[in-house]
Amino acid sequence: MSFGSTIVGISIKHNKLVIALMIIVALVTGAMIPLIKVDTDPENMLSADEPVRVFHDQTKERFSLSDIVVVGIVNNKDPGGIFNPASLTKVYELTEFAKNELKWPDKDNPERQVGLIEADLLAPSVVDYISQGSSGQVNFEWFMKKPPATQTEALEIRDKARNSPLLTGTIFSEDEKAVCLYLPLTSKDLSYRTYSKLREKIETFEGDEEYYVTGLPVAEDTFGVEMFIQMAISAPTAMVVIFLLMLVFFRKLILVIAPMIVAMISVITTMGLLIGFGFPVHIMSSMIPIFLMPIAVVDSIHILSEFFDLYTKQKGRMKTVKEVMGNLFTPMLYTSLTSAAGFASLALTPIPPVQVFGLFVAAGIMIAWVCTVTFVPAYIMTIKEESLENFGHAAVHEEKANWLTKVLKGTGGFTYSRAKIILSVIAVIVMVAVYGITQIQVNDNPVKWFSKSHPIRQADIELNKHFGGTYMAYLVLEDATEGRIEQGFTDYLKQIWQKKAGELKEQFPDAANAISQAEKLLESEPSQDETREQYLERIIETVNAKLDAAKDTEIDFWYEVTDFFEKEKAALALFKQPQVLEYIAGLQEYLKETGLVGKSNSVTDIVKKVHKELIDGKPENYKVPNSSAAVAQCLIQFQSSHKPNHLWHFVTYDYNKTNLWLQLTSGDNKDMEKVVKAVDDFFASNTPAVPLKYNWAGLTYINTVWQEKMVFGMLQSFLGSFIIVFIMMAVLFRSALWGIICMVPLTITIVLIYGIIGLAGKDYDMPVAVLSALTLGMAVDFAIHFLERARESYNQTGSWKASASVMFGEPARAISRNVLVIAIGFLPLLLAPLVPYKTVGIFLCAIMGLSGVVTLTALPAIIKIAEKALFKVKASPKSMSCNCAFCLIISAAAVVLISINLHQYWKLGWIKMALISVIAIPIMALACGIMSRKKACKNVKTESED
Amino acid sequence: MKTLLAFTIVFVFPWVLFAADDSNQPQKIADVETIINKANVMAYYQGTDGKAKVTMTITDKKGLTRNREFIILRKDDKDGGDQKYYVYFQRPADVRGMVFMVHKYVALEKDDDRWLYLPGLDLVKRIAASDKRTSFVGSDFLYEDVSGRSLAEDAHELIETTDEYYVIKNVPKKPDTVEFAYYNVSIGRQTFLPMKMEFYDKNNKLYRTIESKKVEMLEAKQGEEIVKYPTVVQSVVSDLTTGGKTEMEFSDIKYNTDLKDDLFTERYLRRPPREAIR
Repeated sequence: MSFGSTIVGISIKHNKLVIALMIIVALVTGAMIPLIKVDTDPENMLSADEPVRVFHDQTKERFSLSDIVVVGIVNNKDPGGIFNPASLTKVYELTEFAKNELKWPDKDNPERQVGLIEADLLAPSVVDYISQGSSGQVNFEWFMKKPPATQTEALEIRDKARNSPLLTGTIFSEDEKAVCLYLPLTSKDLSYRTYSKLREKIETFEGDEEYYVTGLPVAEDTFGVEMFIQMAISAPTAMVVIFLLMLVFFRKLILVIAPMIVAMISVITTMGLLIGFGFPVHIMSSMIPIFLMPIAVVDSIHILSEFFDLYTKQKGRMKTVKEVMGNLFTPMLYTSLTSAAGFASLALTPIPPVQVFGLFVAAGIMIAWVCTVTFVPAYIMTIKEESLENFGHAAVHEEKANWLTKVLKGTGGFTYSRAKIILSVIAVIVMVAVYGITQIQVNDNPVKWFSKSHPIRQADIELNKHFGGTYMAYLVLEDATEGRIEQGFTDYLKQIWQKKAGELKEQFPDAANAISQAEKLLESEPSQDETREQYLERIIETVNAKLDAAKDTEIDFWYEVTDFFEKEKAALALFKQPQVLEYIAGLQEYLKETGLVGKSNSVTDIVKKVHKELIDGKPENYKVPNSSAAVAQCLIQFQSSHKPNHLWHFVTYDYNKTNLWLQLTSGDNKDMEKVVKAVDDFFASNTPAVPLKYNWAGLTYINTVWQEKMVFGMLQSFLGSFIIVFIMMAVLFRSALWGIICMVPLTITIVLIYGIIGLAGKDYDMPVAVLSALTLGMAVDFAIHFLERARESYNQTGSWKASASVMFGEPARAISRNVLVIAIGFLPLLLAPLVPYKTVGIFLCAIMGLSGVVTLTALPAIIKIAEKALFKVKASPKSMSCNCAFCLIISAAAVVLISINLHQYWKLGWIKMALISVIAIPIMALACGIMSRKKACKNVKTESED
Repeated sequence: MKTLLAFTIVFVFPWVLFAADDSNQPQKIADVETIINKANVMAYYQGTDGKAKVTMTITDKKGLTRNREFIILRKDDKDGGDQKYYVYFQRPADVRGMVFMVHKYVALEKDDDRWLYLPGLDLVKRIAASDKRTSFVGSDFLYEDVSGRSLAEDAHELIETTDEYYVIKNVPKKPDTVEFAYYNVSIGRQTFLPMKMEFYDKNNKLYRTIESKKVEMLEAKQGEEIVKYPTVVQSVVSDLTTGGKTEMEFSDIKYNTDLKDDLFTERYLRRPPREAIR
């Protein structure tokens, strides 16, 4: 008695107990679901200690940057655009609303408030206007202290905006039709709350203005919220459709309920375990039910389909169930194992939520399998024989052959007579698809996870038309030498000090003694690990000691010396140096020209603007002054505004690190990558006056980092699981050749799907990447069923011609029913407002459709052509290890599999991996050779020769 | 009476008439007008000039600090009249030599004159004085904290008299010219020095405080007489919105050093007087 029939036997015998057990398990695990913790932050796609996240957090901390919700107010109707009293009043009111209403008590510490960071809010009424006042004064005033009462006042505000390069493209649109408010939040997980409150307020406004709320934090947080809502809508809808389709095929409500229960139990148990183990439900894992459902029902459909076809009243349920399970146990086990392997391989990607997702889907698949092989037979046994009146293919068939049967019969005949044509056509299609794959664009953008009609997506489109961009990226520049004393520094210092000393000599003729002491100051060379600053500090201390001890006649002299060295020390600060600021301006100009960056904001812009207004307000003075002291003085004037701390978003207190704030009109990763490339190019072709290093922060950038990890991680885990599936198939069929053939439909399906993605211009994004695991696991199912049954049938009939017609009977019907149920069942996902859901729907449809069609065309055609090779040895060898070629292929596959994983984790180069493989494979070949020649095998051989 | 009481000037230059030993008992003053006028007189019309070295430490919510160091000179035209300020920046070193000068006028309708000298640009520039509630060189103090807020700008109400303080609520007469809804000042009954100012926003929420942390009795010459002036030598402003604070410490405080009038003119911006530098 085999393992399979034992399990089935027990389930049939103790059917009530099995059912009770299932329900108890589902209830116990399901009880953990209320403990759910939700994590919708895509940043967590990277582990918290990932360097890019660490740097991002440091940058936010260092420059007091926050995640920003962008609110746009657009007036396309008024000829003056946004600059009219009514519109600006609404801008003002919305700002006041944000200041007063977008704050909540902190959950952990009710004393503190979370929400809007008022000090960093950007809006017309809370920023400063720096300008020329009357009679050549410089004037700092609130940009829009109160809303204008008249059109003239509104136009005054417009004129101010025109004179404010720091704000144009950021707060005011260049086309003068729109105003943006930038609401920095204490934490981005408040974005949805902020978004909802703003929309409530906006509802109360009347007039010509349109309002838009967007920004990556809003998109990400809102997606998290809507995703869960969508899950609650989509999963049940799919269930209902699947249920109805099964009812159409199998006509017995009581039977059709079985797969539903299997799906429910699998989903509940898996989610319960996930939550029970303390994992937060991330964007990825929230999709577990939708992934698990089709997989869970597939096996049950196979059982039902077969049961339906084989059942006759005479045979009865018990015998039919045993027969069905006898046929299906092995293929179901293997299809489940392969599907599980496909998902489990995701555990090898370097992305924590994907690992959790992969492992739990894999676990869920195995849970579903256990349910299917125990619960379904048990359940069937509890159904009274009378309830199955008029059930079964035989009962229905007697009336008329249905359309499905007819189509399949025709297909079967065609694959036999036109095998070569079928294979040629498939080959051509595959070639086109391969071309398509080369056209795939790797790209993602969380805002595009919303469909085009979604308000967030609309806001994104509209605001990026008017402004420099709603996507933020931060380029942090700093001293590459970290203050080390470079060659030439002491020479330079000596040179300027000599000059100064000469001047002081003339100025203080009475301080000769002091002068001779001072001239020796720089004779003390810097020590090896001293920074420039520490060296100068040491000299200043020496001078100060002299100053304290100086005679009255020398005090002034020593004072001048201190002054000189202190100023030199201050001038070390990198981002006060005019040439460095000019370099940044050059970079900004360059980025602007690429068209990728809509607006960039830097400390240079501030210096230029303040300089211009300090001098005379004329455009020609919009420039960096020529000394670092002058820069420092411009910046201290900037700090005499209402918002002095605004400066510290752009530069650190020591002026040794600066932050270039880039606004991008597109949050597409491919566009961010182009910006990164542009910056690399700029640095490569323009050497800065002082060595600078740079690094990126900002959500837009972080997304590109996890995308890259995701794409390559997925690709590697995909290759790995492809090989695992192949090894499993070879073992299942005890033949490498059969294993390869079994991989054909899967390979073609995947090539076609990704080929279509490439040709259709659909971006390869996160959902698509994750779905490759699903494709792999599901596309192999039908091939396993088909080949397993084909072999059995061939053993009975002895010819493919005869087997083919058997195969296009019941087995082909089971496959077709599965295709239809899953493909159609998930079509309602296409109506979801969230793009990843649509993607899942399309994918499931494509996977099932393509793999079904390919299995039913390519496989019989291949078998027809390769009939002799495939069926030449009737009995498979007793021991797999005796087959030298088999052993060798499996070994080679194993080596490749291991290399892929090692490469990923040990970061070994591919060349090294290839070398290791080159050495490993002959060794394994030798081992295979020895094994196949061992005594036991000889016996087998002689036996079979006899 | 439209005289100026710059409560906060008192932090910088307090000249208080009576020495502590002159008044062992707090005076029995009941009505608000009398208190503020008295405080005005006590705090404001003492001595003829003064000088102090000021060290400012600006601390943000992360605990990171920046420093400013300047020397401030002050001269009154006459008691109860206009005043002149000369602020010479010593540190940071790269703003050394920067001068900020104010001619402050008592008459409400006349805006103060403000000048700025930037040595790095060798530029003398007038600064508009229309809005005095901007940051003083990046600190949490505002220009108005340094150069004074006119008594006439607010309506005053004595809301509490404790053992130590008169607490006076000040409500601006033109609310849309300032960011606060009102502020309370606790005036020491002994010294008539403002010890605490609390600013409330439109939601009645405290968002900003200025406190006198340390008061010393400083000797000064008044004619031939040696008197003692209670003087705030340390004060702190806290911005509860940003979590930042700024501490001012005063040292080398000298009164009645006979500063010349022409020192407070434009030609001394480029060539600071010796008194301003040392």
